[in-house]
Amino acid sequence: MANHSTTQTAHVQHHFVDGDQQFDTAKLGMWVFLVNEILFFGGLFMAYIVYRAWYPELFTEAALELNTFWGAVNTIVLIGSSLTVAMAIRSAQKNQTKGLKINLLITIGLAIVFMVIKGFEYSHKFHLGIFPGQFYSYEGLQHAQAPIFFSIYYMMTGIHALHVIIGIGLMMWIYVRARRGEFGSDYYTPVEMTGLYWHLVDLIWIFLFPLLYLIE
Amino acid sequence: MSGQNHEHHVSSAGQLWAVAAGLFILTILTVVMAKFVAIPPPFDVIVALSIALVKAFLVAAFFMNLYWDTKFNAMLLLMAVAFFILMVSITLLDMLYRVDVVPSF
Repeated sequence: MANHSTTQTAHVQHHFVDGDQQFDTAKLGMWVFLVNEILFFGGLFMAYIVYRAWYPELFTEAALELNTFWGAVNTIVLIGSSLTVAMAIRSAQKNQTKGLKINLLITIGLAIVFMVIKGFEYSHKFHLGIFPGQFYSYEGLQHAQAPIFFSIYYMMTGIHALHVIIGIGLMMWIYVRARRGEFGSDYYTPVEMTGLYWHLVDLIWIFLFPLLYLIE
Repeated sequence: MSGQNHEHHVSSAGQLWAVAAGLFILTILTVVMAKFVAIPPPFDVIVALSIALVKAFLVAAFFMNLYWDTKFNAMLLLMAVAFFILMVSITLLDMLYRVDVVPSF
């Protein structure tokens, strides 16, 4: 813990010149992590691209098993949560702790709505026997590579959903710290970083939605 | 942008709502284009991905603040995109031009 008497502000660690430098360093580190995430999802998109190039008719047929309406609703929900996270950061920048807490709670709520819809989509597919890989037992779509499409589908949306769950945890942590009054215009780095992470989760979904749900 | 006491950019509530409104409209547009407009095969994907790219730009530039941020962070993102395109290109050069598809794939 930094000492109030020797440093300018309590949160600036001794190896940084000032709060700005610490903030920019944290942000650079966060971007390096986000770039890693993009390349990590890039591998999954690569698998998608290769299989779609090989079996275009399979992707057209299999997309009919996905519900465009709920996919679109989830897109709207995630964009809405990106807006509230941006508003939460704005509140922190303007020293409005109440606005910060309210926006974080709305974001957590929207993230839970996303997961509930995703859960209904998954359970509907499990009910039909649409499982990934060798566990696939759905009669309605007979294609030798159909299990592979759904392996890609579950892997992409599943890892994305895992990111949403981690995001919910992070925002609860930020909420608890906001309640303790730790954030304000001079220090809101964790809010900003969690926000960047959450926007990336939104960014990935922006590509997943048209690629998986909107193939005609 | 440089200097010890530069102010962090604070977006106005109106700006953030405008970006979100743009994203909502583009989401509806992409669904309408895919479901109700008959676009011939190669172009439907191009339209859907173009809309997704515009949405991604809005999120990265104005929600993730890259527009006001140091250019280095934007460069990191663009480099990741460039390397992703490189990976896709090289892989497709192999996968699309094989005489036989890899067995059991």
